[in-house]
Amino acid sequence: MKSDTNIKLPLAFIIYALIALVVAQVILFFNSDLLLAGQFRLPDIWMGAHFLLLGFAVMIAMGAMYQLVPVAFLTPIWSQKFGFLQFILTAAGVTLFAVMLGFQPAKAIYGGILAIIGIILFIIQMVNTIRKQQTKNMMTYFVLGAITSFFLTIIAGFLLAWNISYGGIVSHSSILYSHMVLGVAGWFTLLIFGFSYKLVPMFSLSHGFSMKWAKSAFLTYVIGLVFLIGSFWFGFVYLETLGWILLFLGFGFFVLDIKEILAKRIKKKLDKPFTFSLLAIANGLAIHFFALVIHLIGAENPIIWSWLIFLYVMGWIIFSIMGYLYKIVPFLWWTHKYSEKIGKEKVPTLKEMIDEKLSVVLFVFLIISVIGLVIGGLIQVGLMVFIFQGLLALTSLVYAASIIRVLFV
Amino acid sequence: MSLERKVGAALFEVIDPELGINIMDLGLVYGIGVDYEDNVEIKMTLTTPGCPMHDSIMNGVKYRVGQLEGVGNVHVDLVWDPAWNPGKMSDKAKEMLGFG
Repeated sequence: MKSDTNIKLPLAFIIYALIALVVAQVILFFNSDLLLAGQFRLPDIWMGAHFLLLGFAVMIAMGAMYQLVPVAFLTPIWSQKFGFLQFILTAAGVTLFAVMLGFQPAKAIYGGILAIIGIILFIIQMVNTIRKQQTKNMMTYFVLGAITSFFLTIIAGFLLAWNISYGGIVSHSSILYSHMVLGVAGWFTLLIFGFSYKLVPMFSLSHGFSMKWAKSAFLTYVIGLVFLIGSFWFGFVYLETLGWILLFLGFGFFVLDIKEILAKRIKKKLDKPFTFSLLAIANGLAIHFFALVIHLIGAENPIIWSWLIFLYVMGWIIFSIMGYLYKIVPFLWWTHKYSEKIGKEKVPTLKEMIDEKLSVVLFVFLIISVIGLVIGGLIQVGLMVFIFQGLLALTSLVYAASIIRVLFV
Repeated sequence: MSLERKVGAALFEVIDPELGINIMDLGLVYGIGVDYEDNVEIKMTLTTPGCPMHDSIMNGVKYRVGQLEGVGNVHVDLVWDPAWNPGKMSDKAKEMLGFG
């Protein structure tokens, strides 16, 4: 079975995403005063946040899925031509949408519509690809759960953009909170869970593990999402409490499986970037725990919640992606450049294609930046937010360059 | 040296690019057969079904063996039964992975 995708397709998404990462961090750097005030719901921050989440994280997720779905599900991509069309529409839509959010929020809906069309094409592509998978497994359900959440996220996002442009839809706050939870927890978390079940054993060369908690992790997390989102609409506090408890438990079940996979690994010395993705999993569990505690003690300060969301996005989602990219991009490029040369001449290993020492330095700076930003934000020290957001923007730039450098090996 | 042994020796030069270890030391090759016309059949597996290096490693095996003098056709039979397990690795591979 030949399952590999035309390298240009995932690479197009990944290169766009790396540029968006740098743009997002630079926008956030120039607006660090708004970050300090916890004013995350202003046009400039919307622009930075959507370049980060849609431009970087979503585009990376799409590019990675074009590569990983055929590998993990043993089925080729439904239509690669359709994939290129989807890339062009999504890239144009996301760019237009994020820029409009910053400069003319009332017209953002036009960019939004284009982005939504691109995303819907992606969903059609993935559903048609996954339908061809012969034997469904737990990973399939995680990915389908993620795609469903993604679809609901963009519907909610569209309603928000409509309201900003034309008004008339009540429950703006409920839609906004649903949009955020479905986007960051539903789409990204379920997707990372699903692919981690394939990638963690593969990169650690683990054998004989059970995945016995996978079903519990999936069901608990999805029910947690439903309860939490339900609480935004019906206002029942106990629904919210139950939601946070279930989300924490669901994440905990996932961690139990990952722990077993790592305990049964054959490769004892793990690659550093992969270790960073594992650290992100620990971050994710801790952040879910903090969210539950903050909810239980009844803290309603929006600054605390805003920074918790920031921590969720950076410490869990973005860190996971950044670690995995150090594996995904070398694999793509290696397949393109060296797969025909294996056995014929000396070819580099994947590890030789990256600068692992530099990656460690970058990951340390990323951790320092995020911790510094959160502390600076919570204790309201403007200079700290300015300095650490500057460090984050600079580190993101060097990170993007270090990934693109792989393409010149 | 028999052709089987030559093929076995050549396969030590086919490296798994993810692990940086050759496929013989990894224990991925289950058997090498040569018929009376010197056609070679290699029965092998991979560490995990859906390994992304699938095509690359198989093509590498075909090419490297095909380079040997006197070899006829080369056929690679990829099997999943019996499944690969760490016990199939050589001591050298185990040492390289830090698996004791």
